[in-house]
Amino acid sequence: MATILVVEDEKPISDLITMNLKLVGHRFFKAFDGAQMQQILEQEKIDLILLDVMLPVMDGFEWMRRHRHPGVPVIFITAKDSLADRITGFELGADDYIIKPFEILELLARINVVLRRNIKEEEGFTAGDVDIRLAARQIYRSGQLVELTAREFELLEVLIQNQNIALSREKLLELAWGYEFEGDTRTVDVHIRQLRKKLGWEERIRTVYKLGYRLEAER
Amino acid sequence: MRFWQKTLVLMLVLFVVVLDVSVIMIMNKSWRLNMNREQQRAASDHALIANSIYENLNSIKSRGMRINDTILLDVARSYGEYYRERGISLQLSNQDAPVYAEPSEPSARHISVTNELPAPYGYLQLTYRRDIEALYAGQDELNRYFVYINCISIPVLAALMYVLIRKLTKPLQSLADSTKSIAEGNYGQRVQLKNRDEFGELAQHFNRMADAVERQVTDLSAMAEEKQRMVDNLAHELRTPLTSLQGFAQYLNAAHIDEEERITASGYLWSETLRLKNLVFKLLDLSILSHQPVKRSRIPVVELFESVRRMEQANLDAAGIELILDADIPAVWGDRELLESFLVNCLENSIHASTPGLEIKLAAYEQDAAAVLEVTDSGRGMSAAHLERVFEPFYRVDHARSREHGGAGLGLALCRQIAEAHQAQLSLKSEEQKGTTIQLILQLHNNGPLTL
Repeated sequence: MATILVVEDEKPISDLITMNLKLVGHRFFKAFDGAQMQQILEQEKIDLILLDVMLPVMDGFEWMRRHRHPGVPVIFITAKDSLADRITGFELGADDYIIKPFEILELLARINVVLRRNIKEEEGFTAGDVDIRLAARQIYRSGQLVELTAREFELLEVLIQNQNIALSREKLLELAWGYEFEGDTRTVDVHIRQLRKKLGWEERIRTVYKLGYRLEAER
Repeated sequence: MRFWQKTLVLMLVLFVVVLDVSVIMIMNKSWRLNMNREQQRAASDHALIANSIYENLNSIKSRGMRINDTILLDVARSYGEYYRERGISLQLSNQDAPVYAEPSEPSARHISVTNELPAPYGYLQLTYRRDIEALYAGQDELNRYFVYINCISIPVLAALMYVLIRKLTKPLQSLADSTKSIAEGNYGQRVQLKNRDEFGELAQHFNRMADAVERQVTDLSAMAEEKQRMVDNLAHELRTPLTSLQGFAQYLNAAHIDEEERITASGYLWSETLRLKNLVFKLLDLSILSHQPVKRSRIPVVELFESVRRMEQANLDAAGIELILDADIPAVWGDRELLESFLVNCLENSIHASTPGLEIKLAAYEQDAAAVLEVTDSGRGMSAAHLERVFEPFYRVDHARSREHGGAGLGLALCRQIAEAHQAQLSLKSEEQKGTTIQLILQLHNNGPLTL
């Protein structure tokens, strides 16, 4: 997982983002203005910056103008929903752009997309006796290679990227099968059962009452 | 058909018709006069010739000769030959039996007179014929000339009229151009006409109308812009608390968390809901204010100040600030609730701008025959740039600090509305690091019951 710098002056939003990052296993730093941000960037190794456009003193766009190539991918967060702003953001070299109010799942998904595009070395995911290397698409259980179908692997990847967050069956269909899939939510149940059996994750993949499923990882 | 075309065609037709009818009537009259003259001349010629023949025959008779056909023929011929030279042909007949006749062209147009000779030669008729081809030729010439003149003069007339009418209707064209431009939305456009006639008057009235329209449009668009800004700001203000609410609700609902995180998240749900409530209530106040008449009454100043102090005591204590009350006048006229709300809003701003140990002063006094309510602090103050915009809804001098206190950025906008509702003036003076003074200046008619 990655180290993410959250630059946001509104404390509630800053906390909201970082609490969710923590859930899915990212490390994070908080900055409330440009100066703090600069300080953290100089001292720490950061994989991704979430940058609020409306910052006190110097706004996010201005910061990007002065640091054209920070060497770190940037996702802008803003309450301004205008095309002009979005274009400005991309022109300044932002990797993505997200508008308040946002769905936290969407934010996490976008973070994953940007990270995958920029990540140097793939980190594994280890839980109990299961060791998963997402990039190599290899899963070992007690050192034994586990065979998964393509669809099962997609589903596993979604669960890992959103670990500790309950996902509804519809959401899982959308994320692992894609929007076009006119599936039945029972399809999800069948695949989840397969995953539990193959990985011995009966306890780890929790059925959350009235919601769906949640992969519970060590926190 | 354009106005100038209509005018030109009508004028031209009228002019040509009148002129030509006149000319034709004159020509006709002159023709009739000529004919009459010819008739008279023929009659007098005939009489003269008849008389000569009579004299001639008398003298022949006096010489004792009988008048027979041969003699008649001789006499007639001598006259006939003499007159033939002059384009006149004579004919003499004896009781309808021709005695002497000139050969003449029957087709030729002529004038003829037939009459008996004086007695005793009444049995003889003399016919006098004169060719008037020349008269007809002259008339034909005149007709041709008339057509020819028409062919020349009508185009010339048309050209002159065209120039004249175009010149006269030029103001109309420029009026039309200006009005079109205004209709297309260039409300600043004016008609440039210096004519001293009806067109000039029309242009003046029109410009006055355009002035009024422009004023209206400017006012309307300014209002619309302010409304739009307000809506944009409101949307922007709503996004942050909504993001928090949505995010934390989802977090509580779906995340695998422990007690500490649950408390943090639900605490944010709580505080952001309060913030939204605060915003909504302030907005409601604003909207009610712009629709409701104020209920004026006499408010004792001391009472007003004390109730404000009661409301803000907790905040004052928490900030460690001393409130000083200074009432110079016994009472003001106004809406009690609104004036309280005004003072509370100003006081809260002052508290947020002050550091512990400072003082804030509420004062009421008379100045230039007006009642002044004044809130003075010696806090942070603000720069001139902020002063201009500080009454706009959602404008914040210090965004972070305002959010910290749960402000919606509507306090001073509300104060402005309250001032407007009382037809009172607002004055704001501020110096950075020195402090801020805000005054509500209630005009003279506010110091007594409103008599309308």
